[in-house]
Amino acid sequence: MSGKRILLLILGLGLIGAAIGIALWNKPHENMASSKAKATVEATVLFNEYNTDENAANANYLGKTIAVTGKVKDVSKTEGGPAKITLETGDEFAVICELDALSQHARTDFIAGETVTFKGKCDGLNLDVQLSRCVEVK
Amino acid sequence: MQKLMIFCAAFFVFTMAASAQSGQKFFTRDGKVKFDATAASSPERIDALSNSATCVLDAANGNFQWAVLIKGFQFEKSLMQEHFNENYLESGKYPKATFVGKITNLNEVTLSKNGTYNAIVSGQMTIHGVTKDITTNGAITVNGSNVKVNAGFNLNLADYSISIPALVSDKIAKEAKVLVDATLVPKQ
Repeated sequence: MSGKRILLLILGLGLIGAAIGIALWNKPHENMASSKAKATVEATVLFNEYNTDENAANANYLGKTIAVTGKVKDVSKTEGGPAKITLETGDEFAVICELDALSQHARTDFIAGETVTFKGKCDGLNLDVQLSRCVEVK
Repeated sequence: MQKLMIFCAAFFVFTMAASAQSGQKFFTRDGKVKFDATAASSPERIDALSNSATCVLDAANGNFQWAVLIKGFQFEKSLMQEHFNENYLESGKYPKATFVGKITNLNEVTLSKNGTYNAIVSGQMTIHGVTKDITTNGAITVNGSNVKVNAGFNLNLADYSISIPALVSDKIAKEAKVLVDATLVPKQ
């Protein structure tokens, strides 16, 4: 192989490497609307599992996309942040689903008492079970 | 007799209100925690925000606690978020960062009176499974029944066993700036 060909090969490989690097660096966040739920669970069951054994619940849910169904307790809108929907658990604390800032939502208002299902990332237990990047599942 | 009854009723209401204030706890589950670990030479911002920190302040003794879930921090870049969780903070193993401490100058902070007060907060910070003593200043603004807490401090990443690979050491700062902003309401 001539020196020129070797140089071209190195240059080509370098370009491919750079393209892969740029693609990885700019990799978009997971699309939550098309993200597949690894588990489907009732809000009360999820909360009880976390309160019974946080480590075991983390092993099952932490960082995973899960679908949670429950009755809306209330909706809060924090300054500059996405709406959070609190799902009843029968306890002082609850399952809180923060809507995804990167997704389009058909609605951001929910009525207390209605039953809804959200798909989102389970962040763990912080008094409440917190889910972020949530989208409603119809 | 009527005057005496009015006096007794007024005294009762006053003492009840005072005891409720002194034993009052303030709480939020919507605290904002922002951290910024952008090195001076980094072309990209390395920062993230969580809107879901919990924070409890006990007006009786100044005890002050907060907790934030590491996986709740949102980055602009997906890859940064992945590295933050998997390589640096190991959030699968250490899902929470917590602070447990107290306001040490509670005599200078009147939680029952509107105003902005300088608070000195001292306690223990636990991040990445490592607990360190920390003291910082913050502003406490009392507005009606709400208590707003603002604080900013630097954390040395190495103190919490967060090691930065040499390859990215020029992009990630050795000290992360942390900003806390929370509005606490009386806990029912």
